[in-house]
Amino acid sequence: MTTFHALRDGFASAVTVVHLAWALVGVTLGTAVGVLPGIGPAMTVAVLLPITFSLDPTSAFIMFGGIYYGAMYGGSTTSILLNTPGETASIATAIDGYEMARQGRGAAALTTAAIGSFVAGTLATIALTFFAPPLATAALRFGPAEYFALTVVAFTTVSVLLGASLVRGLFSLFVGLALGLVGIDQLTGEARFSFGIPQLLDGIDVLILVIGLFAVGEAMYQVWQFGREEIHVLRLKKFTGMTREEWRRSWKPWLRGTAIGFPLGVLPCGGPVIPTFLSYLAEKRFSREPHRFGRGAIEGVAGPEAANNAAAAGVLVPLLTLGLPSSATAAVLLAAFEQYGLQPGPLLFASRPDLVWTLIASLYIGNAMLLVLNLPLAPVWARLMLIPRPLLFGGILVLSSIGAYSLNRSMLDLVLLYVVGVVGCAMRLWDVPLVPAVLGLVLGPMAEQQFRRAIAISEGQLSVFLTRPLSAALLLIAVAVLVGPRLPWRWPSRADADI
Amino acid sequence: MINGHRICGYVAIAAALGATLMAAPAFDQLRLIAPAAPGGGWDQTARVMQQTLQRAGLVRIAPVENIPGAAGTIGLARFLGAERGNGGVLMVSGLIMLGGIVMHRSPVTLRDVVPIARLTGEYEVIAVPAVSPLRTLADLVSALKQRPEAISWGGGSAGGSDQMLAGLIADATGVDPRRVNYIAFSGGGESLSAVLGGQVSVGINGLAELEPQIEAGTLRALAISSGARLSGLDVPTLREQGVDVEFENWRSLVAPPGVSADDRRRLEATVDTMVRSREWREALQRYRWIDRYLTGPELARFLDREEQRTRDILRKLDATDRESTGLTGAEPYPLFVLIGLFVCAGAVVFEARRQRSSARPQSALRARGPIALLIAGVVLHLLLAERAGFVIATAVLFWFTARAFDDRHPWRDALIALAVSTSAYLLFARVLQLTLPGGVLARLL
Repeated sequence: MTTFHALRDGFASAVTVVHLAWALVGVTLGTAVGVLPGIGPAMTVAVLLPITFSLDPTSAFIMFGGIYYGAMYGGSTTSILLNTPGETASIATAIDGYEMARQGRGAAALTTAAIGSFVAGTLATIALTFFAPPLATAALRFGPAEYFALTVVAFTTVSVLLGASLVRGLFSLFVGLALGLVGIDQLTGEARFSFGIPQLLDGIDVLILVIGLFAVGEAMYQVWQFGREEIHVLRLKKFTGMTREEWRRSWKPWLRGTAIGFPLGVLPCGGPVIPTFLSYLAEKRFSREPHRFGRGAIEGVAGPEAANNAAAAGVLVPLLTLGLPSSATAAVLLAAFEQYGLQPGPLLFASRPDLVWTLIASLYIGNAMLLVLNLPLAPVWARLMLIPRPLLFGGILVLSSIGAYSLNRSMLDLVLLYVVGVVGCAMRLWDVPLVPAVLGLVLGPMAEQQFRRAIAISEGQLSVFLTRPLSAALLLIAVAVLVGPRLPWRWPSRADADI
Repeated sequence: MINGHRICGYVAIAAALGATLMAAPAFDQLRLIAPAAPGGGWDQTARVMQQTLQRAGLVRIAPVENIPGAAGTIGLARFLGAERGNGGVLMVSGLIMLGGIVMHRSPVTLRDVVPIARLTGEYEVIAVPAVSPLRTLADLVSALKQRPEAISWGGGSAGGSDQMLAGLIADATGVDPRRVNYIAFSGGGESLSAVLGGQVSVGINGLAELEPQIEAGTLRALAISSGARLSGLDVPTLREQGVDVEFENWRSLVAPPGVSADDRRRLEATVDTMVRSREWREALQRYRWIDRYLTGPELARFLDREEQRTRDILRKLDATDRESTGLTGAEPYPLFVLIGLFVCAGAVVFEARRQRSSARPQSALRARGPIALLIAGVVLHLLLAERAGFVIATAVLFWFTARAFDDRHPWRDALIALAVSTSAYLLFARVLQLTLPGGVLARLL
């Protein structure tokens, strides 16, 4: 009951015309900057925060809410329409979203992404409102052994991302794992495979790999194919919204995406990669028509987009209840809260209830504004695909270059971007799937570190992974995913490839 | 998108205007480099300085640049290379950078830059979960003496301040620092949740990060690394419990080498005024930083002492001459990955050869022109990026890419290329304030 009252008070101080306008500004800015490749959510929030400093706390929080959700959503537009995800959150979306866009259903993909984000964001914020403290405490039971087991579950996603051949998928994965070796070993501080180049000490930025493989690789591939195949002329479908059929196929993925994304957001598991890909895995596994995935299945867009936004809300659970920043974005938000004398920690709800509830109310508002902004824009964005190819790819390369350079202000990153682009082009030519490489680069270092931490804490006992119940359960799930009875594919599915 | 950016621009301009309607500042622009990712202590220091300097009217505009990586040593190398003699830039630095220089055998050190001031310090706290059987520091020390490996210490990155203090404590209690079972986590949040969840035996971290938990009673502080007890915080020092260690994680500001004496004085004066401002005092309180303002020859002596101490303790901690560490070591995993990579690569080649005749389309090179154009565009772009500036470099890239697809409108494409690259540059460099090389056009834009 008190929660309801507090929330009502929060809304009372948040809902005014001026505040709603700030929410809209926040969402617009967050989305606009989030769209740019290379500027992930953390950077977006950091870059935009100074704007809020001149506002009163309530307006500032309203704008945070908007910027935060806007930044989380921003990347999906380019990844659906142009197959150029600018950050890790929207890679899973690109797989089927871009196929939909190529079939002229770009607006429907954007719509399901926007509504899915709204549904997931709202449900997750409700969960945050009512269950934050117990959830945060439960999340603390995850130690290195459990996180390692979780990465093992995430690795099984590769099984649904395989293209025509098992070995090519695994090869792509191992390329990613090998790239993940470069840089300082987190646990000992030793440099590995950095070849004496100081810029490599910090490893290869996953964004360089993502932008290089997808955006630059696609541009190069298009040039390579130019003149060799019939140019695919795109026609937008007349009806741009979602059909009844698409609604029917979307709502379950939205809910499942929320159920997967929110708890994984509460756990600090290194950003949106694990939630979005596990959602994609679940959709393909639950689907009665798994062969449609990778060929423009709307479920493959609805699920991961919902998971991404639900995870974004989940990140706020440990932040608000325990003061734990579990992602780079959360760390930036933490610093911003401190600006207003708000010290996230176990005593936050007791010491500044007014500001906390205003913030939570702002999250609902920011989320709703995201829908208000993006729903009408979906058909407009979809026309982006009608830009003539010379100008479109020119523009994509310009933005990719600037985005890659401004990550670390390093020429080496820029050179790497184009090297990765050539690799991406070659992988397309030889039918090697791109996504497993990205998963390898993100999950490999995480798996290694957590594995070694668990072993170090247990003083060398390998059995920790099985004696700790949560970790054992997760490993069991991983096995079930790989050999489960609903397995739609056996070994490299020749039957599938013929379809 | 266009709309969003325009509004973004307006708001940014409005915010900048609000900050500048004051007296003539000492600097028109003073760039602040945080050699770390957004969210960390160095980034926070830079961003607080940004606001303080702008609000106090000392600097019209103070953009923050993040150059993350390797405990700040990548930022340091870049600072030395790109900013030599530049009197309009400061970089945040500190104890952790000293550690990084030793750990990563950095060819550049803090002796290569000009120290301007030590700004703040932060004490470290040793804490355990409320339910832990370790009640006092004495319990911890006796457990440590019995079997050092049984106590796992959770803290920040390897070679950072947390691990240094763990090593100093072990050393002071007669335990071999190399036997300290230190578990490095990336970032305060990750290590804090491991401590709260009881995943490690002891947590070691900055006071600001642990204090809310101590106040709430979820963690029990065993000791603080300050010389004397802090007022308002009922935590005994290491020293009063018989462990002769005093330690703080300090942060400082440095200027590039080769700045003129005038520039240096101007930077020092600006920092001096900033440190005395009300805004700075408030920020110190808010972030619970200790005021450790120190300049001149005393600062130089302090830096010498700290460098010596850092080298000593990291040498004692040195993990490389530890005997075989088995699965926890840094070697087995890379071996596994490389073997897997070669096996898979072999399998792919094998499969490709088997399918060659049927599956793979034989790509007869009919159109070499477009590919050559694109390659030329990329190569020129990379060569020009830092020399001629991003506007020219990206315009060249755009033009060649457009030509690769369509060679009918060279002039129209050139115009669009310039328009796109200029607006992209302005968007990133001016509106978002992410520094890009301006090159020859820098003064025009």
